[in-house]
Amino acid sequence: MKNSKWSQFTSFLFVLPYFVMFVCFLLIPIIYGIYISFHSWDLLSKDRPFVGLQNYIAIFDPGTHLNSVFFNGLFNTFKFVIFSVPLLVVIGLLLALLVTNLPKKVQGFFRTVYFIPYVVSVSVIAIVWLWLLDTNSGLINEYLSVLGLDPIPWLTRIPYAWISIVVATLWWTIGFNMILFINALNEVPEELYESASIDGASSWKKLIHITLPTIRPVMLFVFITSTIASFNVYGQPYLMTRGGPGNQTEVLLMSIVDEAFSQRQLGSASAMAILMALIMIAISVIQFRINRASEEGKFKRKNKKGVGVWAKRKNQSF
Amino acid sequence: MKRFLSGKLLIILLLVGLVACGNDEGSGTAGDDTESAAGGEQITLWVPFSGPDGPKMQEIVNAFNESQDEFSVDYQVVPQSEYYTTIDLTLNDNRNVPDLMVMHADQLLTYVENDLLKNLDEITGETVNLEDYNENAVEGAMVDGELYGIPLDIHPLMFYWNKDLFEAAGLDPDVPPTNREEFVEFAQKLTDGNGQYGYVVPTLWPQQFIMPTIVYQNGGKLIDDGQVLYDSEEVVEALEFQRSLITEYGVSPSDVQQDGEVTLFLQGKNAMHMNGPWMLQQWEDAGMNFGVAPVPMLGTEQQAVFGNSHNFVVPEVVGEEKHEAIKQFLSFTAENGMAWAESGQAPVSKAVYESDEFQEMKQQPEVAKQFDYTHFSPRVRNWGQLSDPLMEAVNEVLLGQKEPREALEEATNRAQQRLN
Repeated sequence: MKNSKWSQFTSFLFVLPYFVMFVCFLLIPIIYGIYISFHSWDLLSKDRPFVGLQNYIAIFDPGTHLNSVFFNGLFNTFKFVIFSVPLLVVIGLLLALLVTNLPKKVQGFFRTVYFIPYVVSVSVIAIVWLWLLDTNSGLINEYLSVLGLDPIPWLTRIPYAWISIVVATLWWTIGFNMILFINALNEVPEELYESASIDGASSWKKLIHITLPTIRPVMLFVFITSTIASFNVYGQPYLMTRGGPGNQTEVLLMSIVDEAFSQRQLGSASAMAILMALIMIAISVIQFRINRASEEGKFKRKNKKGVGVWAKRKNQSF
Repeated sequence: MKRFLSGKLLIILLLVGLVACGNDEGSGTAGDDTESAAGGEQITLWVPFSGPDGPKMQEIVNAFNESQDEFSVDYQVVPQSEYYTTIDLTLNDNRNVPDLMVMHADQLLTYVENDLLKNLDEITGETVNLEDYNENAVEGAMVDGELYGIPLDIHPLMFYWNKDLFEAAGLDPDVPPTNREEFVEFAQKLTDGNGQYGYVVPTLWPQQFIMPTIVYQNGGKLIDDGQVLYDSEEVVEALEFQRSLITEYGVSPSDVQQDGEVTLFLQGKNAMHMNGPWMLQQWEDAGMNFGVAPVPMLGTEQQAVFGNSHNFVVPEVVGEEKHEAIKQFLSFTAENGMAWAESGQAPVSKAVYESDEFQEMKQQPEVAKQFDYTHFSPRVRNWGQLSDPLMEAVNEVLLGQKEPREALEEATNRAQQRLN
């Protein structure tokens, strides 16, 4: 009895640091953000009247600038999510399959090579791609002209601007998804492959019937975290296209940051941020539901690894 | 968004925390100082000079601190990117507020309207005499006819050209174009159809300076009396002219991306370029053979240029006991501001810009030539927010995705919506 109390106490001590951080830097700010969103909160003004739902109403009122800013940003963010998430999952998996099928000696080398961009900051990534993609003096267009092709306006025209942003994002973050998939692939029991070989299954059949079903929990995890991270896209369009041409690649976070810190309107910016959170929560719930429905107890959901990396992934955005 | 919200508030919390900590220490040391320095008054100065210009201002502050022992200035650089956010949070919190800070002219009105800045009439007089400064710069530090800032410099748009390319094209490398006709003529001569362009038209920054410059040169206005005038003839003409450089005259490539024109200028593939005086260092570091001059008359009506300025301002909450120290420092800076000129900027103190030493510099006297006809941003709250729709229209038109009039009408509506 005494022993168990002591162990409860020590467990509590272990949780405490995270809990304190969670309360200070997540819980309180979120509650404070909700509080701010109910006020007309000009950073410079002493007068911050309570306005109830007015900030939210303004966002849905087609006559206001908040409405156009919010929905333009949201629409563009959705586009980015739709373009990037499938590629992030599929290419991550392909790379993982590629690397795990390499000879053991060089596996570590390629794992590192693909992972390196992930540890570089977004400003560096953006500048590298900015120089590569420059319409009139970039390396890529230089190569195209050697091949006798016309230069492509990579960052100033739709759809190229999106292609550029997505490619830069893939190059930057794909290593992380690849590592997750490599771990999952290594966990697939060898016996399954062996018995399938004895039954004469082809490599393709092994992939479809053994590998994919086994790594499914990790796939779901990668899918959801990639969606969340893609929703939080900010640095790449901000640095590479400045939201252009016009405002066609201006994503929601750019609009929110601008509203909060350039226009100093914390109230309406917080309202936009809260709405964005609600949308993301809704999407994550739907993704879970769909997966659970299709899963229907076919697989035990033991994604311990998934939960572990989740915590790390949560604090990162593209 | 959780992440964002927490990120945002984390910054706020950290800043508040820092400010709070700073305050504890600050008040402690400040108290000690006043006692130990036998009545000497210390003032805190905040500046956004996190670039190579920072040490230059530091030189002036150090010289002031050494010149006498009655007053001292505590010099604090806040990174440019978070400068106004830091000011906002500090003023908001009303703790650890600096006694003196540098503010851009286009920011003044917003702070004045919130009663956050001191009217400086009580500070000017014998020691800080407005007649010692360029009149237009003083005008730029006024809001509704009242003075809220003591100007340090004006930084208008500047014109740069590549002397080597001028020479190769058979032009006099020391004679820049002065009007639209010459500009277009030079640009055509400097375009070789093989990757070298006469004047590459930017589609994003620094259009925030270029577009208004041509509008003012056309005799137009951007906002007047609560009316957004982005669809007025003068603005449409300015944008059509810029587009014609790409489509009609072919002196610029299309689809120029962020900083694309700067890259080409540095590579010697763009012969003429317009940007702020702060770019000087980059051209020099690249070892370019370049010239610098006032912006040519690209408009049709009058000589004009768009610019911004740095001004010393005093927060409303600063007490009277600091006034003497502030006056002494401002007066010292006006007389000994040559170090600031060395950063490439042009101080507006007559003692500096009328001196022989200043006139012998390369870029600075060219900047000073534009002092008297520099136009500052329209006096409206949040000019940045109101100019966004205009800049998006400029971007789309120069990228060949919209017609000038149509894009500008749309921008007018959006800006008017924000203004109301």
